[in-house]
Amino acid sequence: MGASQKKYPTGEAHIRFWGVRGSYAAPYSSQLGVGGNTSCVEIQADSHLLVCDAGTGLIPLGKALDFKGLPNKFMILFSHYHWDHICGLPFFEPAFRSDCELLFFGPGGSKKAVEKTISQMMKAPYFPVEPAVWMANVRFVEMPNNHFQFGPIGISYQNVHHPGVTFAYRIHVDGKVIVYAPDNEFTFLSRSIEQRYSEFDAREHGLLEQMKSEARNRELGLLRGADILIHDAQYTPEDYESKRGWGHSCYVDTVNAAIDAEVKTLYLFHHDPTYTDEVIESIHNHALQIVHERDSPLRCEIAREGETVRLS
Amino acid sequence: MQQAAPLGSIDSLPCAVVVVDESTVVKKIFQSTSADLGVELKLFSSASAAMALLNRFKPDLVVMDIMLPDKDGLTFLQELRKTVLHCDTPMVMITTKDYAQDRLIAQHLGVLEFVVKPISLRTAHDLILKFAKSHGGEPKKISHG
Repeated sequence: MGASQKKYPTGEAHIRFWGVRGSYAAPYSSQLGVGGNTSCVEIQADSHLLVCDAGTGLIPLGKALDFKGLPNKFMILFSHYHWDHICGLPFFEPAFRSDCELLFFGPGGSKKAVEKTISQMMKAPYFPVEPAVWMANVRFVEMPNNHFQFGPIGISYQNVHHPGVTFAYRIHVDGKVIVYAPDNEFTFLSRSIEQRYSEFDAREHGLLEQMKSEARNRELGLLRGADILIHDAQYTPEDYESKRGWGHSCYVDTVNAAIDAEVKTLYLFHHDPTYTDEVIESIHNHALQIVHERDSPLRCEIAREGETVRLS
Repeated sequence: MQQAAPLGSIDSLPCAVVVVDESTVVKKIFQSTSADLGVELKLFSSASAAMALLNRFKPDLVVMDIMLPDKDGLTFLQELRKTVLHCDTPMVMITTKDYAQDRLIAQHLGVLEFVVKPISLRTAHDLILKFAKSHGGEPKKISHG
């Protein structure tokens, strides 16, 4: 069932997946069991609604709100500005309502830079309506000391491995830690070291091992302590071979990282748009097998459009 | 991580290189290389720590990672380029991010070379010789490490 067909959940703190695909939308019958919209995840607590990325999933989210009550405060976090993470924004209905407050944050170094990036996308000839027409109370915010408190939701960010400046977010809500990392390529450096090992001498080989260890610690540091991890798992091992360097992870690496970082629940996310429901089910089965073989308590799920996860 | 040294102690040296990278190993590689070359090296793990020195000092070369803990290196570099002091400071990026988009941004920001990790001792040595020497003072001693 598509996200737009479900009743909008309110009340308890929760996560809801509105878009789970990567790269481009996949509105094909063979893909709709998992979902066809691109990245958009809602995290709601009290009257505050945090939206992680503005892919096409943002459109049904905006339409599902009845505006008869709460929430009326929205904050949109951009992981980065590739099309699949922003293209729902021009159609986000709360932006056109004067009774809504809308905050934005994303890479760019300043609120002015983020505003400029958004404005450039929403102008002729790309789109007929500019953000200046928005009626909501719109604010672009910054995160001094890498922290922002949006009502009951605490937010911080970290650079991750994806083309251009890309953030992952650690989100604290209702006593839980959620990590949202939709686009992040694991193990890039260790694979580079393996490929180029012969270029280095014996003295340097020791340094390379230390470098791999440092990189792994950094990767896991982002995930450590997460109750819920929503992470890029775009490719099968076979596809990753030809798409290494595209900025996305092989799901095997994602599962292993979640196990190593002692994550409680992993949602495999940013599914390749060409993968059918059947392929994604086979990915899930193999992921569960890895968890079992490693004797890990990790709970591993597929992020599915329309699914709600209660936080309390 | 070293603290910013008083201006006088740096100004009096022939060639100063600033390295901004969270990696202890990368810092170790440059330490080893600079000892051979007699270059004054300043090592920082974050953009904010480096800024404490760079807001008042122009080195002969800045070597910077993109994946910094407090700020991405490309945004940091963009901020530096907007200052009078660093609009033309020689910059080299050293990163795991072997992506065309990152290379392009770095190029637009006037980066002299985009080096993909892992780097060898020889690469670090050659970067200092090539860029720091050509823009700054003469290193005290030249030898291959």
